[in-house]
Amino acid sequence: MSAKTMKSLQQDKETYFTASQSQLIWARFKKQRAAMIAAGVLVFIIVIGILAPALSPYDPTIAGRDRDYLNGAPQIPQFCDKNGCSLRPFIHGVERTRSAETNFRWVEEPNEDIRHYIAFFVEGSEFDLFGVIPMDTHLFGLQGDEKMIHLFGTDSAGKDIFSRTLHAIFTSLQIGTLGVLISFVLALIIGGVSGYYGGRLDSVIQMVTDAVRTIPAIPLVMSVAAFVPTEWTSEQRFFMIAIILGLIGWPTLARRVRTHLLTERNQEYVLAAQLCGASSPHIIRRHLLPSFTSYIIVDLVISFPYMVLTETGLSFIGLGLKDPVNSLGVMLQNVTKADVLLNYQWYFIPVLFFVALVMAFVFVGDGLRDAADPYSDSKK
Amino acid sequence: MLQFGRFALMRAAMAFITLLIVSFVVFSLMELVPGDCAERYLSYKQTQGVAISIADIESERVRLGLDRPFITRWSTWVVGAFQGDFGDSCILRVNIADLLGAKFWISLAIAMSSLLLAYSIAVPVGIIAASSRNAVLNNSLRIFSYLGLAMPNFLLALMIMLVATVYFGETLTGLFSAEYRDADWSWAKFVDLLKHAWLPIFILGWSATAFALQTVRALMSDEIGKLYVTAAKARGLYGAKLLWRYPARHALAPIVNSLGFDLNRVFNELPIVALILTLSEAGSLLIDALAKSNDQQLAGAIIFLLTASIVTLNFLTDILLAIMDPRIRKSILR
Repeated sequence: MSAKTMKSLQQDKETYFTASQSQLIWARFKKQRAAMIAAGVLVFIIVIGILAPALSPYDPTIAGRDRDYLNGAPQIPQFCDKNGCSLRPFIHGVERTRSAETNFRWVEEPNEDIRHYIAFFVEGSEFDLFGVIPMDTHLFGLQGDEKMIHLFGTDSAGKDIFSRTLHAIFTSLQIGTLGVLISFVLALIIGGVSGYYGGRLDSVIQMVTDAVRTIPAIPLVMSVAAFVPTEWTSEQRFFMIAIILGLIGWPTLARRVRTHLLTERNQEYVLAAQLCGASSPHIIRRHLLPSFTSYIIVDLVISFPYMVLTETGLSFIGLGLKDPVNSLGVMLQNVTKADVLLNYQWYFIPVLFFVALVMAFVFVGDGLRDAADPYSDSKK
Repeated sequence: MLQFGRFALMRAAMAFITLLIVSFVVFSLMELVPGDCAERYLSYKQTQGVAISIADIESERVRLGLDRPFITRWSTWVVGAFQGDFGDSCILRVNIADLLGAKFWISLAIAMSSLLLAYSIAVPVGIIAASSRNAVLNNSLRIFSYLGLAMPNFLLALMIMLVATVYFGETLTGLFSAEYRDADWSWAKFVDLLKHAWLPIFILGWSATAFALQTVRALMSDEIGKLYVTAAKARGLYGAKLLWRYPARHALAPIVNSLGFDLNRVFNELPIVALILTLSEAGSLLIDALAKSNDQQLAGAIIFLLTASIVTLNFLTDILLAIMDPRIRKSILR
């Protein structure tokens, strides 16, 4: 072995031993293919969610409805048709008819002779990007204002399902984040007190936590959510649901915080710090907290999809978010009708995005958990 | 034997205390919601055209005992609850025990059968997956598990309904055929129930299977690498006999313990699945009680019953484990 490689080996070792915990986790995380792919998907979906107003062609509320295309089928952009090809994607015009033959339901008939070309960066309805930057440019749309494009079709009010899906992703991310944060703060306080003081207080808190954990959360949440006054605004409902989600999530997290604290509290490095004369707040802040933040972050990521799913379930049965707010649950509210099941299956397209979102979170969470566990290499 | 008795007694006491705490939490929540039973009932009466005054509400409160202090009402409620008496429903004015009756048992039966289904699939498949090095099998099981986790039961129910309606023209909903709905229990009614119940059982069992499969596999692959398994192999044991006699016995103990949590999860999914499949059992009654009539008395009773069945199951699995494993019944008496 040459001196050069020896030196680089030495350097490798040095970087390994002096690496911070987050660097180590990242190094282990990078090795897992599935988790890396999932992380890519996750970042993609999050970016979509944040940029939803700019990426979606129309306003997701009733203001952006298409009066002439209720319950309309998805329109897939094409490059070629019987009249030849075009470099710019286009959709065909649609004519609607209704007669005794169709049972007086509107039936769309594409007219292949009319082309509507898709334009990029078109001006449309106004919105605030990131809530602050006023804009009116949308990524794509149709030229002119009289016709609209609906990639995923429209619902019974004529709202664009594609736009609604993108906004719903953002809503889910928001509510998940809020719920996770609330449960995290609660868990940190309750678990922290329980773990740091230990003894009898710990036993009592654990007993209550265990009891609360045995109550099935969703029925409990339903009973609380049902008593939310109907005249509340959608923002109030939104925060209420987030708080409820946070309130269900804390027992599991609190337990983890407590376990970490209990094990770390008796480690030698804490004793060493105590012998050096460090105060309790100093020990908690500089030694105990950093020792398990990575685990807590992993726990937060893992609990995120359950928040999203709970919100979806609640909104679906009509006890969660309500109409002007878009979320998957709100969008799915009417799909159990036979009419929808038989005729308008595109109502289900958003489901795919949500399964992808939840799967991505589960995979990333699993990958992070393995990466944060210093013994995961030796296990395999 | 004496030791075992003490263990069982201890566990029973712990279960009882847990239930007390649960009842307190549930009861307080039901108290916190705006409006009480008297107001609800009388406001309902008002919609029927009866003029109601403040004095009427007050006298109704006194009649229902709502004017007594919180702790007194809670203790009366708890004493009643442990005897299976939950008082009258706020709005329907029927005894809750009569109203729930069979519906609760059907819910419990559906939940338990879905757990049974989940474990009768997960245990053998998990053991096989852990002991085989077949990459295709392992990866497809992994994907199935993740799908089970990511696809909430109600979405699965929706998808099944979608496929059933589009391709078979049937909606597969309900729990009884029309002619048996109000009939007395009989063999024919039971068979009819089974014909309808397989779908909710399957849907509820789906994610439970995914969870259980992951746990069985993880526990089993931990055990399989241990020295005592190698030693048994060296003595000439192999195949299924080896797996069942040594690693499986150790790996399955924590699984028995997790049954209570799985029941909890199933109960979480039950109301929403019930709503989609229009089942008429406790879960959907809960939604009725909440979404349509704000009946806190009924809601509290249902949540208490669900939790009580979870606590009971936890107690039973603890006892079962202690019978199987003497180390556990000693652990509590340190």
